[in-house]
Amino acid sequence: MQANIAKARIKKIMQADEDIGKIAMAVPLLVSKALELFLQDLCDRTYEITLKKGAKTLNSLHLKQCVQSFHVFDFLKDTVSRVPDLGASDAAAEDRSAAKRRKISEDEEDGNDDESKKARVVS
Amino acid sequence: MEPMDIVGKTKEDASLPKATMTKIIKEMLPPDVRVARDAQDLLIECCVEFINLVSSESNEVCNREERKTIAPEHVLKALQDLGFGEYNEEVFAAYEQHKLETMDTVRTGKWSNGADMSEEEALVEQQRMFAEARARMNGGPMIPKPADSDSCPSLNS
Repeated sequence: MQANIAKARIKKIMQADEDIGKIAMAVPLLVSKALELFLQDLCDRTYEITLKKGAKTLNSLHLKQCVQSFHVFDFLKDTVSRVPDLGASDAAAEDRSAAKRRKISEDEEDGNDDESKKARVVS
Repeated sequence: MEPMDIVGKTKEDASLPKATMTKIIKEMLPPDVRVARDAQDLLIECCVEFINLVSSESNEVCNREERKTIAPEHVLKALQDLGFGEYNEEVFAAYEQHKLETMDTVRTGKWSNGADMSEEEALVEQQRMFAEARARMNGGPMIPKPADSDSCPSLNS
């Protein structure tokens, strides 16, 4: 496993933000480690959904549902929003719940706990 | 100053090396699991978003303390504020390890940054990047950056 995920690239991404000024030399290393842990969490939790659906291939829809299931991933909502709710492998089962999920996504801004619970229940 | 800094930097220009990330993602999952191509790309985008998120928050912590340079402790506080505080133990451990390795460099004079490259390879890589930058400045074609670990301290200032 890579010890450090592309520290120089991380620094570049950080500094692409105009608001960001100087960065201490060790900082990209810390961000790299945090990123590694984050990515592992994201993969693990997405894969749980993949398993639950009996799929062998992890796809974008699983990732989208994962993001919708955990508040700590709220910042990723925009990133996954363009993933269509239909069109993944098990489309048949998705059809009914997809409409509900699409509606939930639109209402998601409130961070309504009941609605996000609904999203988690759908499998 | 890295050669790539000479080229105009937009958020789109700065992404993570795709091949490296693909490999990492594969290693994070059980061996028999396949990842759809669009999911790969999406995961990488999520990573970039994470970096942006942590950067912004770290920057805010830094500003609140009226400091000019984002420091490690700002990152740790940011992670906590964002709900990723459980990472802090390992992140801090990595930081401590890095400090030890940096001390070794000073003491023994060896290039020990934990990277895969030897000093010779790192110098070659550096020369190559300077050559690319020169070519770009002379109006040469854009040479795509290969996927690599990019972890040489001397290029990081």
